[in-house]
Amino acid sequence: MKAIIRTESLGKYFGQMAAVHEVTLTLQEGLFTSVIGPNGAGKTTLINILSGYMLPDRGKIYFREKEITRLGPDKRVKMGISRSFQVMNIFPRMTVFQNILLPVLSRLNKTSSAFSSLQSQKEAVEEAEKILGEVWLQEEKDSPGGELSHGDQRLLELGIAVASNPQLCFLDEPSSGMTPIERIKVLELVKKLASERKTTFIIVEHDMDIVFSLSDWIVVMNRGEVLAEGKPGDIRENQEVRDIYLGEEI
Amino acid sequence: MKTRLAILILVVLLALLPAYAGKYALYVAIHILLLSIFSLGFNLLFGYTGLLSFGQAGFYAVGAYGCAKILLAYPSLLVGIVGGVVIAGAVSLLLGFLCIRHTRIYFSMLTLSFGMMIFSLAWKWRDVTGGDDGLVGIPRAPLEIPGLFKINMAPMENYYYVVLAFAILAIYLFYRIVHSPMGLTMQGIRDSETRSVCIGISVRKYRLLSFTIAGMYAGLAGALLPPLESTVTPPLAHWSHSAEPVLATLLGGVYSFSGPIVGSVLFYLLKDIIVRFTEYWQMCLGIIVVVLVMGFRGGVVSIFSRKGGQR
Repeated sequence: MKAIIRTESLGKYFGQMAAVHEVTLTLQEGLFTSVIGPNGAGKTTLINILSGYMLPDRGKIYFREKEITRLGPDKRVKMGISRSFQVMNIFPRMTVFQNILLPVLSRLNKTSSAFSSLQSQKEAVEEAEKILGEVWLQEEKDSPGGELSHGDQRLLELGIAVASNPQLCFLDEPSSGMTPIERIKVLELVKKLASERKTTFIIVEHDMDIVFSLSDWIVVMNRGEVLAEGKPGDIRENQEVRDIYLGEEI
Repeated sequence: MKTRLAILILVVLLALLPAYAGKYALYVAIHILLLSIFSLGFNLLFGYTGLLSFGQAGFYAVGAYGCAKILLAYPSLLVGIVGGVVIAGAVSLLLGFLCIRHTRIYFSMLTLSFGMMIFSLAWKWRDVTGGDDGLVGIPRAPLEIPGLFKINMAPMENYYYVVLAFAILAIYLFYRIVHSPMGLTMQGIRDSETRSVCIGISVRKYRLLSFTIAGMYAGLAGALLPPLESTVTPPLAHWSHSAEPVLATLLGGVYSFSGPIVGSVLFYLLKDIIVRFTEYWQMCLGIIVVVLVMGFRGGVVSIFSRKGGQR
């Protein structure tokens, strides 16, 4: 198995507070990886740094052994790194179909086309239709994204993230605000997309039942540092992780 | 189909206008067409890209002065108008580099400042702009392509057709742009800048494109003015002139294609009517605009739209 993303002594500091400190990680291609930890552990900051949304103060990041530390998010997307956000981030005034079509057009480098109609972009249109089906939003295709239910908006955001056809996709709490049943469905969908699209997903998730049942690899963070990483069984048995985050019930 | 038929009827009516309307009606129609072009460009920036500019009158004035200077030196209508648009485009590209790095109120204030800088230049650079007197005696030069045709523009009717042709072309191009992948990209940036960046879109590039195209539309509206009025003066660049496309667009509908055009018709006609009855026309117009904007949140065109959405 190859490393898809690797970090060396990554750090991000806000004044005296270390949001991420000395994080050295190697995450493998094809492994469904979850990042867990208590609130304020630095999970979202880590995702922000890895996706290019935030630049680190120190350390280095390698994607498939190519250094990407100072690259912006738009450049990283072109390399095959995509993400979703903790706070819903879709295109609310655009239709569901347009929400998916835009990242497809971006990937195909067609966004500069100023005088051709959207319908004439056959390859992009077909692909967007396919993705809509994959995320169960075919029937909502003409509705404005902002008018969907919370759960459907989460699905739409997932669709936007995979529409870039990423090799690596970060999902920051993809099931937040959903009912327990919706959570399981969405995360099973993520797992299905991972195997069908050959995309490596790295998710931040708070539902430990889901994390332990779906993940191949778990990274535990605490106070900006990596507390532990390993297979779900190893993490479950890790006394330090139990003391700080999981408790004794897991 | 219905929409196409309505557009066709409208174009025919506008084409026949000189046959049944007097000179003043033609003059008003030309001004409405100019405001429509001006407002469309503004709305590409505001309604489609999410950037509220208060400095579009600066580019309008650049187009107007550019066209005027060309016509005074070389009396060819086509060269004057195209020259005015190109100069306005170049200036908006240059200023766009500085403005599009910012958003929201910072962007608006920057555009307001640059617009007022252009106003000051028009006022003070007397050797080039004529200062507060402006440029006068601008000829309504013939429309000609040497060796092919030459049409006299002295009759108002002939010039009306030129303006109408440019307006139809500008509206058609605008329609193509906003319904293209580039238009969708601009709408994406309007809806969520962060989401756009995270799907691989270079936000600054498209903001600059939008800014430049909007500047060229303002420049076109401005360039069509000097042959009509025979004069250009600094108030063309004043911020209060920048407010006209803002009000027209809000009146018609920000998130619709036809909103700025409908808004321009309403705005100009309201202004033209009210000014006949009171010297406090600006206050009356302001009250009416406020009532209409508050009454029709999606603009006047939302009345014709079931959900008040895109039209």
